[in-house]
Amino acid sequence: MRIALLAALVALAPLGANAATEGKKVSLKGELIDTWCYFSGVMGGPEAVVGSAHHTCAIWCAAGGIPVGMLGEDGDVYMILKLPEDDASAGGDSFVELTNDTIEAEGTVYERDGLKYLVVSEVKSNLGVANLNHEDFGIVPGFAIPKKDRKALKGE
Amino acid sequence: MKRIALMAALLVAPSFVTAPAFVSSPAHAAEECEAKSWGLSGQKKECFSAKVVDLLCEVAGDCPPNCGAGNRQLGLLRADNGKLVYPQKNLQQSFNGAVADLHPHCGKTIDVRGWFVGDEDTLKGAAQLYQVQWIRSAGGDWKKASKWTKDWAKKNPGAKGKGPWFRRDPRVKAQIEKEGFLGLGRAADVEFAKEEY
Repeated sequence: MRIALLAALVALAPLGANAATEGKKVSLKGELIDTWCYFSGVMGGPEAVVGSAHHTCAIWCAAGGIPVGMLGEDGDVYMILKLPEDDASAGGDSFVELTNDTIEAEGTVYERDGLKYLVVSEVKSNLGVANLNHEDFGIVPGFAIPKKDRKALKGE
Repeated sequence: MKRIALMAALLVAPSFVTAPAFVSSPAHAAEECEAKSWGLSGQKKECFSAKVVDLLCEVAGDCPPNCGAGNRQLGLLRADNGKLVYPQKNLQQSFNGAVADLHPHCGKTIDVRGWFVGDEDTLKGAAQLYQVQWIRSAGGDWKKASKWTKDWAKKNPGAKGKGPWFRRDPRVKAQIEKEGFLGLGRAADVEFAKEEY
């Protein structure tokens, strides 16, 4: 009898256990950010680890497979699971190339356990790196530009 | 006959369906939760058992074989409370995510040691973000989550040299060459360097 009950439970499990959540179609505008530095505070406050100040580090992180998210105009961070034609969210080329760009996108948002996930279906526009916060914070981290490159940039 | 019915029921259960949460967490009942503090914002040490899942599959139902072959972000579906945890980071201090360490365990239940990060009071969306430091497969020993750079070296044999991987990585170098350190082009880098250094 117990075995029969178990069998019934297992057979019925798929009906309730499929965890894929209902998505919501959205149009969003925001900057694609390095979510680790943003949330962990490992390199300072959140306002310093976005934009031009943090661009080089964000490229390292995106290429290193750290999740890229969109910091929306509403202040929410949408963890991006897919860009158009690119589901390589762990270090894929599109994720590296769009880092710190502010884009207008259409896609689907899924909410699960307090996090918002974004599947981008189309990038409608790309404003490039639009947050020029290096004017306030310099470059974060300070070693992002190697000494030899600093000299080269200064023409030395 | 009943056993056969049970086996049949197990076989017909779709593979993409999330397994029912395991109610026990034997790895941690008698163990201390050991993980190294990085002094991160809102950090909270936690060790738990979880199933390794493809996040895009788990969240949106887009499910290729093998969790996306290591290209997709992976999640940890906790055995104790059923919540989906997002492992952002591994143990290495060189800008690496956790997929290289987790992907070999795709679809399996593992034990992890690490830290939840992010202050939910000040940053919206910090819930369930995690740094995985140690991983133990069923019946195995604890291993550091530090596989990323070894995998990178295998994939980039032509990028050998001094310095960390992110100074030598062809994609990183190409991206910086293309748009500068600030992402604003070389002229902006030149202006910045003259003022700053």
